[in-house]
Amino acid sequence: MRFLKNRAVLITILLFFVSLQLYSLNLREKSGQNFISQVVLTVTYYPQKIIYIVSDKVMTTWQDYMDLVNVRQENIRLHEDIQKLRVEKFELAEDGIQNQRLKKLLDFKEIPSYPIVSANVIGGSPSLLRSEVIIVDRGSHDGISQGMPVASSEGIVGRVLTVGDRSSEVLLITDPISAVDAFIHRTRVRGIVKGTGSGCVMEYIEQNSDVSKGDKVISSGKEGFFPKGVIIGTVSDIETKGNFLSAQVSPFVDLDSLEEVVIILKTNNNIVLNE
Amino acid sequence: MNKYLSIIFLVLLSVVFITIQTTLLSPHNLNYYYPDLNLILIVFLAIFSEVRGGFFLTLGNGYMMDVLSGNLPGTFTLSRLSAYLLVRSGSNHVYLRKALVQGLVIFLATIFTWIFILTIIKIKKGDIGDITAKYILIQGIVNALFGIPIFWMIHRINARFQK
Repeated sequence: MRFLKNRAVLITILLFFVSLQLYSLNLREKSGQNFISQVVLTVTYYPQKIIYIVSDKVMTTWQDYMDLVNVRQENIRLHEDIQKLRVEKFELAEDGIQNQRLKKLLDFKEIPSYPIVSANVIGGSPSLLRSEVIIVDRGSHDGISQGMPVASSEGIVGRVLTVGDRSSEVLLITDPISAVDAFIHRTRVRGIVKGTGSGCVMEYIEQNSDVSKGDKVISSGKEGFFPKGVIIGTVSDIETKGNFLSAQVSPFVDLDSLEEVVIILKTNNNIVLNE
Repeated sequence: MNKYLSIIFLVLLSVVFITIQTTLLSPHNLNYYYPDLNLILIVFLAIFSEVRGGFFLTLGNGYMMDVLSGNLPGTFTLSRLSAYLLVRSGSNHVYLRKALVQGLVIFLATIFTWIFILTIIKIKKGDIGDITAKYILIQGIVNALFGIPIFWMIHRINARFQK
């Protein structure tokens, strides 16, 4: 220990060069995880889960109290809503029967879908260096494996980066190392959606392509991670970059306030949805 | 026996601090203004810990940061280990017993670790995201402000084990 203490500056310089080498190595081989990473995720899972449960209870209790304040007026309004919904339910039942009859006539085939697992967001990255990472309370115990796509009811969230026994790390689509093969919903123009830290940008769009502000961007399913047709965001700005167009994409999902997500149990070997 | 209790206490504290940093005080929630509890603990180990395991505790703490920050390749482990060694090399200095000096050391350790990490990323033409000099200074100040009372608290608890 005294050796280390007396040569701190020298060792710091040495550690700097080791870091440099490790960083290059990792850039070349973005391989998976190791056993110690899994142990770290497992060890931190239980305290994270406890904090999540306690803070969730506190928030729910506070919300319940706030809800009680206007409960009488809410009750009257809900009774009126029930009456309206009863009428609508009857009409929908009629439409459902008609829908089934028409499906039979058209010989309609159901689109296959993947099994999903819902998960709670119990934590996030401890550093701003890669803050576009969240921790969810599902792991290999629940059938989760590296690379599985993660979504919410509003669209793509990211993909599973590291898997522990009971928890996993999810890399958000806004992270600079994230890339999703995508196309513009209206014109089927293709490009790659990359993270920028604070948002996303769709790159490698051919210059004469028909892209305009407000266009919806959806996943193509070509890179094998994300199912085809899941919404990513909306084009907010377009600029020319060399021989290509580059479009700023605002993600549909509010990634800063995620509470629940679904993990799509799809591996690269699965058949791509809708294809 | 007391030495082992002290190590157990510091290991548990490492897990508690990293848990708080990934949940309640995560940069995902607080953006620039989150306190880096993990680094504060490492500076504490460098200044106060009589335990020989301080070096390995720093290694473990840095590794936890790497794993939970998206499985980074030793970036935090080695930068924090360097900060530990540099602070440790001057830990016998009498002024380090003063709270203000401790705050200054935490501030400088924060600046040092960010310069260490960002230099590597810049050399390798990686992406540093939204991290600017302003951010680093803010984090240094936040860490120093949080660090002083945390030091006082850990020091008091840890001293009981070391008696």
